Amino acid sequence: MTRAKTSAVRKASDSAPDIAWRWDDAPPDMDYVREALFRHIGKPVARKEDKRLLTGKGRFTDDFNLPGQTYAAMVRSPHPHARILGIDASAALAAPGVLAVLTGVDVLADGLGPIPHNPLPKTNFDMKLSAPGGGAPFIGPHLLLPADKVRHVGEAVAVVVAESAAQAMDAAELVDVDYEELDFVIDALDAASGSCPSVVWDEVPDNVFVETHFGDREATDAAFARAAHVVEASFHIDRVTGVPMEPRAALAAFDAESGKYTLYAGSGGAVRQKNELAEVLGIEPKSLRVLSFDVGGNFGTRNRTYVEFGLTLWASRRVGRPVKYTATRSEAFLTDYQGRDLHTTVALAMDAEGRFLAMRADNLSNVGARCVSLSPLSKGSGLITGSYDIPAATLRSRAVFTNTMCTQAYRSSGRPEVTYAIERLVEIAAKQIGMDPIELRRRNMIAPDRMPYRNAVGQVYDSGTYETNMDQAMALFDWDGFAARREEATARGMLLGRGLANYVESSIGSPRERAEITVLPDGRIEVVIGTQPSGQGHETSFAQVVADMLGVPVETVTIIIGDTDVVSVGGGSHSGRSMRHAGTVMAMASSELLAEARRRAAEHFDVALDRIERDGDQYRVAGTNHTVGLFELAALPSGPLAVARTNEMHTPVFPNGTAICEVEIDPELCHVEITRYATIDDVGRCINPMIVHGQTHGGIAQGVGQAMWELCVTDPDSGQPLAGSFMDYGMPRADNLPSFDAEIAEVISPTNPLGIKAGGEGGTTPALATVTLAVLDALAPLGVTDIKMPLTPNTIWRAIGEARQQEKGVME
Amino acid sequence: MQDVTLTVNGKTETRRVEGRTLLVQFLREHLGLTGTHVGCDTSQCGACTVILGGRAVKSCTILASAAAARGEVLTIEGLGDEEALSPMQEAFHRHHALQCGFCTPGMVMAAHNMVQRHEGELTEAIVRRELEGNLCRCTGYHNIVKAVLAAAEAHRAVASAPAGQD
Repeated sequence: MTRAKTSAVRKASDSAPDIAWRWDDAPPDMDYVREALFRHIGKPVARKEDKRLLTGKGRFTDDFNLPGQTYAAMVRSPHPHARILGIDASAALAAPGVLAVLTGVDVLADGLGPIPHNPLPKTNFDMKLSAPGGGAPFIGPHLLLPADKVRHVGEAVAVVVAESAAQAMDAAELVDVDYEELDFVIDALDAASGSCPSVVWDEVPDNVFVETHFGDREATDAAFARAAHVVEASFHIDRVTGVPMEPRAALAAFDAESGKYTLYAGSGGAVRQKNELAEVLGIEPKSLRVLSFDVGGNFGTRNRTYVEFGLTLWASRRVGRPVKYTATRSEAFLTDYQGRDLHTTVALAMDAEGRFLAMRADNLSNVGARCVSLSPLSKGSGLITGSYDIPAATLRSRAVFTNTMCTQAYRSSGRPEVTYAIERLVEIAAKQIGMDPIELRRRNMIAPDRMPYRNAVGQVYDSGTYETNMDQAMALFDWDGFAARREEATARGMLLGRGLANYVESSIGSPRERAEITVLPDGRIEVVIGTQPSGQGHETSFAQVVADMLGVPVETVTIIIGDTDVVSVGGGSHSGRSMRHAGTVMAMASSELLAEARRRAAEHFDVALDRIERDGDQYRVAGTNHTVGLFELAALPSGPLAVARTNEMHTPVFPNGTAICEVEIDPELCHVEITRYATIDDVGRCINPMIVHGQTHGGIAQGVGQAMWELCVTDPDSGQPLAGSFMDYGMPRADNLPSFDAEIAEVISPTNPLGIKAGGEGGTTPALATVTLAVLDALAPLGVTDIKMPLTPNTIWRAIGEARQQEKGVME
Repeated sequence: MQDVTLTVNGKTETRRVEGRTLLVQFLREHLGLTGTHVGCDTSQCGACTVILGGRAVKSCTILASAAAARGEVLTIEGLGDEEALSPMQEAFHRHHALQCGFCTPGMVMAAHNMVQRHEGELTEAIVRRELEGNLCRCTGYHNIVKAVLAAAEAHRAVASAPAGQD
């Protein structure tokens, strides 16, 4: 069968769309909200969630137990690609304590469906990816256990349920799987070569299941034709993994009497887990309750549904008892959804003065054995031109299957990859035309008066003062003091280098969010919301927002999350969406609640509505001393004082900023030490600066981690992942990071009522580029011009050695 | 199976357990003290750090049956409660040294013990070196280091206060 290779071409139209949020659309009491704002907002309120977490009272998934619970262990594939010829479970079934062994054949027999991953980002403004030739891409059905073949090392092929965790693990070793090994492919370029012997899915014979072209080809070709300078480079932003400190876990129970399932499972959003797992099990969503309380880190890793969650649910029905599963760290390294893995080739055309004319990019995303998410490719596709005014661009975005674990959005999905590409390309360009790289950036950065700015692939940046960010970051970093610091380091025999990167990123995310606000007569306010924090402090920052709006102290507001019997709708937490979406819908709900409170106060005093004045949580008849409080209104016989509001908001926001890193390298030991790290992040309105700074610090560490140490290494000869524990996967540690100089810029976004953009991911987005550029700057005197992450002593040593060899070659 | 008797947070407890039971399993599964966490299987992450016989140890590295001979166990639940946080817990709260909170109990126990061992005489370099065995994925360590240094300073202030004044 041959498939047409012509792909859909999307052109950006020239006019910038209207992205402004309008107060006019809001109910009249929105004015109250606007006036009341910012008593608590913007203050570093200490977190409400801390005390339980600091005293051992957190409620993480593995902390829960149910009477009569059993334990699940997975039988995992040792092969990257193999046909399953048969599974003999007899020895395992005869082992002590074993209750069941279930395989892919049982999955099919019980009619369980694939996880409905829904990988295409779905707001109106996302870059739309399609199959080669157009249409919906084939994503590779993700059954709880495969019946045909295994497609990556670590894929679960059977689940063993036993009385104890140790018995389950012992018995899993006894399950005999008969495999026929097949050709495998690990790297995306090999998989997409057109002559790859490994075909991951028969439905996609060349493994490339997404190919979409963006931009204006004619304009780009014309610009390249008249350019005075052209630079081109290829990069591989390699694979890493999120490593939330809490390994993923699940505790499932089935109640035969009510037919209802319950699942304790920490995730990025319980509502998605409920809906997707209900579809897998073929049950109504209301028959499944998902509970997700304290979640020990996410970073994208936990957003999507895992097979083990479905397996414990299914097994609990099969064995008639609760089933618990907690991943070991080794299992987490093998089978947590991983991140990045993008090959990119970029080219830049400039005029004689270094003005950017056009850009070409070719991006290839390695999604692994199945397509769980196209967010990294889509997000990155929209931001290839970075913070620069590049009038024309073309982009080919492709995604390919390989015999590796699936990838998914990982902290700042898709953006660090393209930021790395454009910032490294700009430095190469500066070198080629002999211009100071800061000057070259200045000449091309998008000016504030161009906002909202439509970039060459159609994304509309909402607001920002990009060059000011760079100036402020350089001042914070003490850019001008670098020469003296370098001199001092050189005197000690050390190499000092600095690297700067500008970034702009998009925060889009699932468009729907719902808030339910109830005023209780006892002086408390409960807010039910569908986001799912994993350390971001929603219980505090959301309470600040609602407290401001309703004119009450922060302590009175309790945020309720994570139980799908209470939370009916919610997009979860990803893509920096939570504060913006929750803030907006909470503002709308608050305004409705205030209107209702006013109406009740008028009714209570039997006066016209316009005679009621509000002061904080007190409602007064104008010109009198007749007042009634918000909580008293909730106690009136007219029923509960509560509102529920669902909002759908598509318009994205574009956080932006500048980060600068300084490194000192010992040329003998090839050890890299980060000596200085400064950032300016425009997060829009900052609700709680203490929390935002904390998010930035963690974001920086994750970006620096990828640049310096982290890598999911796979042996190309055997297809075996080699990073299976904290002994082989380099983590950021207390002793290999510096303290950071991070400052917040607040350029208010016009797209939402609170003016929020997003925080945290901005720490990660530029970090890969800043660290790499700093190391290249330090090594420049030795003749090193290119280097690949991670920048371990081994990498540095090889780069120095190769540069010396080349120098020798030139001299000979 | 064997009887293991341990004094945990000042309370003496006996449980009948398998010989291979680790101290962390004894705490979590047999005593229900789920504040001590398990983040890895190679003794690298430090989430299970408790104080045993006056020293911070990773409770996944020692069998419950062997722990008894090493002295009393102090876990996060015994350090302070929500109404009366210990100075280190209070410093973590004030300096926003925790986000998801999973590594936090181990981090707090290691830091608490560090301040005690050094009698509050700590520098950023010492704190960073001694926390090398406690992994955190959320904070980038920045605020953890700040919190530990602040708690150390408070410890010194209390230690050097003239007798009779507190």
